[in-house]
Amino acid sequence: MKVLRVGIVGCGKIADGHADVVQYLEGAELVAVCDREPILAEQLAVRYGIPKWYGDFAEMLEKERLDVVHITTPPGVHLALTRQAVAAGCHVFLEKPLALTAADSQELIETVVAGGRQMTINYWPNFDPPAMELKRLLASGVIGDPVHVEAFIGYDLSGAYGQALMGDAGHWVHRLPGKLFQNMMDHIFNRIVPLMPEVDPEVHAFAYKRRPEVRGDGTDALLDELRVYLRAGGVSGYGSLCSHARPVANTMKVYGTKSTIEVDFNNRTVVSPATQRYPSALGRLFPPFQMAARYFAQGWRNVGAFKRSEFQFFAGMSTLLGLFYQGIRTGAEPPIAYGEILRVVGVMDRVIEQVYPVNAGGGR
Amino acid sequence: MKILVTGAGGFLGKWIVERLLTHGQTDVRCMLRDTTKGAALEAIAARYPAAQVEMFAANLKNPAEIAAALSGCGMVIHAAAALKGSPAEMFLDSVVASRNLLDAVVALPEGTRPRVVLISSFGAMGVSELGRGAMVDEKTPMEMHPEWRDVYSYTKLRQEQMFWEYREKYGFDLVVLRPGVIYGPGGGHFSNRVGLSLFGVFAHLGGSNLLPLTYVENCAEAIVVAALAPEASGQIYNVVDDELVTSRQYLALYKKKVKSMRSVRVPYWLLMWGSKMVEGYSKRSKGQLPAIFTPYKTKAMWGGNKFSNAKLKGIGWRPVVSTREGLERAFAAMRLDKAVK
Repeated sequence: MKVLRVGIVGCGKIADGHADVVQYLEGAELVAVCDREPILAEQLAVRYGIPKWYGDFAEMLEKERLDVVHITTPPGVHLALTRQAVAAGCHVFLEKPLALTAADSQELIETVVAGGRQMTINYWPNFDPPAMELKRLLASGVIGDPVHVEAFIGYDLSGAYGQALMGDAGHWVHRLPGKLFQNMMDHIFNRIVPLMPEVDPEVHAFAYKRRPEVRGDGTDALLDELRVYLRAGGVSGYGSLCSHARPVANTMKVYGTKSTIEVDFNNRTVVSPATQRYPSALGRLFPPFQMAARYFAQGWRNVGAFKRSEFQFFAGMSTLLGLFYQGIRTGAEPPIAYGEILRVVGVMDRVIEQVYPVNAGGGR
Repeated sequence: MKILVTGAGGFLGKWIVERLLTHGQTDVRCMLRDTTKGAALEAIAARYPAAQVEMFAANLKNPAEIAAALSGCGMVIHAAAALKGSPAEMFLDSVVASRNLLDAVVALPEGTRPRVVLISSFGAMGVSELGRGAMVDEKTPMEMHPEWRDVYSYTKLRQEQMFWEYREKYGFDLVVLRPGVIYGPGGGHFSNRVGLSLFGVFAHLGGSNLLPLTYVENCAEAIVVAALAPEASGQIYNVVDDELVTSRQYLALYKKKVKSMRSVRVPYWLLMWGSKMVEGYSKRSKGQLPAIFTPYKTKAMWGGNKFSNAKLKGIGWRPVVSTREGLERAFAAMRLDKAVK
């Protein structure tokens, strides 16, 4: 197997996750990292034993002859860095959001295609064990055709990521046209859109600020609750980003013509609700026990995954990168269809138009 | 002389300002990211009406804001540092921020550069390589393997290295202090050196190890004494108090004075064995469980050492508060804190 030479550009918080995953992937070697703040590149390299670090991306591309570049910078520079990487002959693995607008995202993908390279985006929860189980169930036909899909993402404004954001009015997320939503809503729509017909869905969004405090700085403009309705053909969807409900949940529910499936990404469960099979009040006694048995069985499957060392926090990123790297080696299709990525970013554009109208179009 | 204190609103920073004023300094500039959080400093300033205590809003992450903060200062005491956050954030807040400060210092013409006083940490020293019970003092070498330690220690090591590198390259008056575990009202209840809460049980890991405690006011006093001592130029001072208590004594006092709690004593040999297991499993399972315990970290944190403050005493430092009194005050505040919660 060809060992791919991998580099990372952008050594912020999420770069740790990439380094965590790549260091254990067979057939890939993390050889260099880069950040325009060299101290950030240095600390990542030292902590993970990565041989080289750079403060200049062009220099890293020139000296390291990389096969793959992971672009983990804020999204405003994704397009420019992709152009540089592709010109140097690299495939690119990008953090979400892909770019500031759908138009920039399309240009980014066209740049990759025109350069004869491959790209994918870090939709890692969609490759986590529960998401893979859902894909298997959908393919098997037990759910039937999707009728309605719900995706719910909780966000903790006082958590590790939330504090970094709310404690710093200059944080790059505040400068995104869709602010916090733009940084998170990939994970809402990338669950719903793939289950819809391949047309751009109808989108109705509203958002508001639920937290009462006013700090008198740039953080005040950030809305924290988002609700979105979608419909494409015979499939509807409902997505939420919720900063105040507890626990901070991460779930989806697929209502199919044959059965319904509930996926809990945090608790790693994929369970279909029980229905009453037997008549009368007696029959109503059974479903809770059936549900308990289903969760119990899931628990044991998870123990099995743990024993096989398949239960890491970023297990989904391992799977996704494994598929992406394999596609690069063999020339097979990348793991996420470009059309699907573009439909997701199209929905995101329409949400931003509706909830932050003055920022729409990238705030340009 | 105008003295700039970075991180002035912090746990230690506030006491540094107080001790500067106690020592008769009359011109202190307190650098804060957010001056609305300067109420405690305003209260301190009110007790010294003859002194000028200025609140100065600046963020060390923004190089453009630093030159104005330094302007007119004969000394900068750099106490700002990140205690938590992701590794990247901690490096930004501690190391990049320090680099920005140093760039602003060396941009000043030679001869006008202020004395720089860095608050480093015990974490910068390579104690893991020492035997159990070895003396830790200013001659202890710096950490050689920051990648094997916790991120906080790495940030403090990299920060201190950078100050020495800049001094070597550009030349300015530098004093470095390395506090041990700073405690006091408003501080944490337990240093990891005592133990950790694991799955609802407090694992007592420190046993009969001495804790390198320094009461926050004593630590601030040490910083001010060294900052104002001409002979401290180019020197390092470890900061620990007298009459240090052991981890076991601290825990027993805590249970008596703050709250009763269940703890399980984990002997060192078992901790080392467990650390080997955790490190091995973490690798085998491709990081399924993080290597929070490794033999290297365990040796550094729970190996047990002796500590000296002789060098600090040589320049005239004496604890302002005895360890017995310091613990009383800290535990009283923790008790109150618990009652409020």
